[in-house]
Amino acid sequence: MTLNWIIDNAARIGELTAWHAALSVVPTVLGLLVAIPLGWWASRSPRIYPLVIGTSGLLYTIPSIALFVLLPKVLGTRILDPLNVVVALTLYSIALLVRVIADGLASVPHDTVQAATAMGYRPWQRLLHVELPVAVPAIGGGLRVAVVSNVSIVTMAALLGIPQLGSLFTQGFSLRLTLPIVVGIVLCLVLSVVLDVLVHAATRALTPWQQKAETA
Amino acid sequence: MITFEHVSKVYPDGTHAVHDLTFDAPSGRLTVLVGPSGCGKTTSMRMINRLIDPTDGVVSLDGQDTRSVDAIELRRKIGYVIQSAGLFPHRTVVDNVAALPRLLGVGKQQARSRAMELLAKVGLDERFALRYPYQLSGGQQQRVGVARALATDPPFLLMDEPFSAVDPVVRTQLQDSFLQLQRDIGKTIVMVTHDIDEALKLGDQVAVFREGGTLAQVATPSGLLAHPADPFVADFVGASRGYRALGFVEATAPVELADEATVRVGSRPGDAGAVDDGWCVAVDDAHAPLGWVDLRAAGEVVEERHIDFSGTVARADGSLRDLLDAALSSPTGRGLVAGPDGRLRGSVVAAEVLRHVGHGREAEVSS
Repeated sequence: MTLNWIIDNAARIGELTAWHAALSVVPTVLGLLVAIPLGWWASRSPRIYPLVIGTSGLLYTIPSIALFVLLPKVLGTRILDPLNVVVALTLYSIALLVRVIADGLASVPHDTVQAATAMGYRPWQRLLHVELPVAVPAIGGGLRVAVVSNVSIVTMAALLGIPQLGSLFTQGFSLRLTLPIVVGIVLCLVLSVVLDVLVHAATRALTPWQQKAETA
Repeated sequence: MITFEHVSKVYPDGTHAVHDLTFDAPSGRLTVLVGPSGCGKTTSMRMINRLIDPTDGVVSLDGQDTRSVDAIELRRKIGYVIQSAGLFPHRTVVDNVAALPRLLGVGKQQARSRAMELLAKVGLDERFALRYPYQLSGGQQQRVGVARALATDPPFLLMDEPFSAVDPVVRTQLQDSFLQLQRDIGKTIVMVTHDIDEALKLGDQVAVFREGGTLAQVATPSGLLAHPADPFVADFVGASRGYRALGFVEATAPVELADEATVRVGSRPGDAGAVDDGWCVAVDDAHAPLGWVDLRAAGEVVEERHIDFSGTVARADGSLRDLLDAALSSPTGRGLVAGPDGRLRGSVVAAEVLRHVGHGREAEVSS
């Protein structure tokens, strides 16, 4: 039945994989967009840094199931709305990325920042044209962790019936079949690796200025 | 002109970084702020472009109080060069130089072609233009730093220990090529250094700071050497200031040069002609002096290993210090002198230079 099951369900498996990828990637991108200003704010003041980093760290300790259940009440959405998952995972991504952004910006050579300031860059111009581009290697590293972590957390949404690869786990469990579970695990792994490689490749493409020894 | 009027900087903890500073940095001139570490020279310089705001007093550029203009607009009128160049690591050399013009709305092509001109001006080969900063040596990075500071052709230039992060040989090259550039561009420059030799070499005017952020003396380099205001300045300027002062004195009358027999590498010792003491000058194909050859020690043919390179070569229009140094460093006691074209003119002995030192003193007293 092994191959037959996969062939019979190929269309659905493909659909679940696509959903899974979207539910992992979209929150990572949204999280990055929110984390950039927050991380910048934190990196600029030694007093604000522990506050922002502490709060965002706390966010990550909220169990995902609790968030999935709570968010519809807060957002006024239906429990099956994929938006709940997107919002929850965006929060997790923010939690992971704020620290990455703050530390990445802090790692930009002091001389480079000082030169930009003295040349007459406004603070936002300096962030956009100098600090963020120079922090790309550090940010890229954090992004890989965030996207892979999201691929794994998304599976929890299966308990609410939101379709993605986690649905194969619940299906396998209720039908007492091992195969859907194995297929789900393998596809999650493959998706993780593919996304990780993509982020890594994008980081390298954005940083042709890095010494070879550092990117290897 | 950059003017400091009773400028002070006191930090919240009560430290006086700069105390009641008053001096002018004249237009088109290079003013060097020099002093021991912690004397407030860097703080003073950073108050010009408001990286630091003074607690008291007024800093003005061409008569305009710097506090009356937006700090960002102010900084865009003032080029800035720092010790480690502080280049943007993610931009190529040409784009580092073009960065500020691009930010201010100049088109990419125009900004880049202007950047290429500036790179040529600071003496960087165009094949470096598309490299990234990490692919350059420290000296090359510093040249890019200077080009970047000049990108918008600002009237003012601030330089924070610009040549101190490179080795002595490269430093001398950078200093020389910068002096040449400044002759050409005539910017109003304030430079900070802890190296008194650099200050004396580069400055049209030198401001000596002492600990506690007060100004000890402002004078021309030769004025500082000849008339230090107090024991602190005398001590800071250094022990051999009498000798160094000669570096600012040119011979008032032509220095008498003796003719020297010459020989080329690869020729026979006999080709030199009549030689009194066995020594003659090795010259290259352009007749530029290389060093001394003791013909008695050379064999059938003069080879490079026979040349004694220990003597320095002075220029006929150089300072008395250069001429004296050539004489003192020469294995024969006769210093080699070349013309502005690099060709050997002859030799000079120390006694002849010292005779002119006497004349120089008289000229200074009477002027």
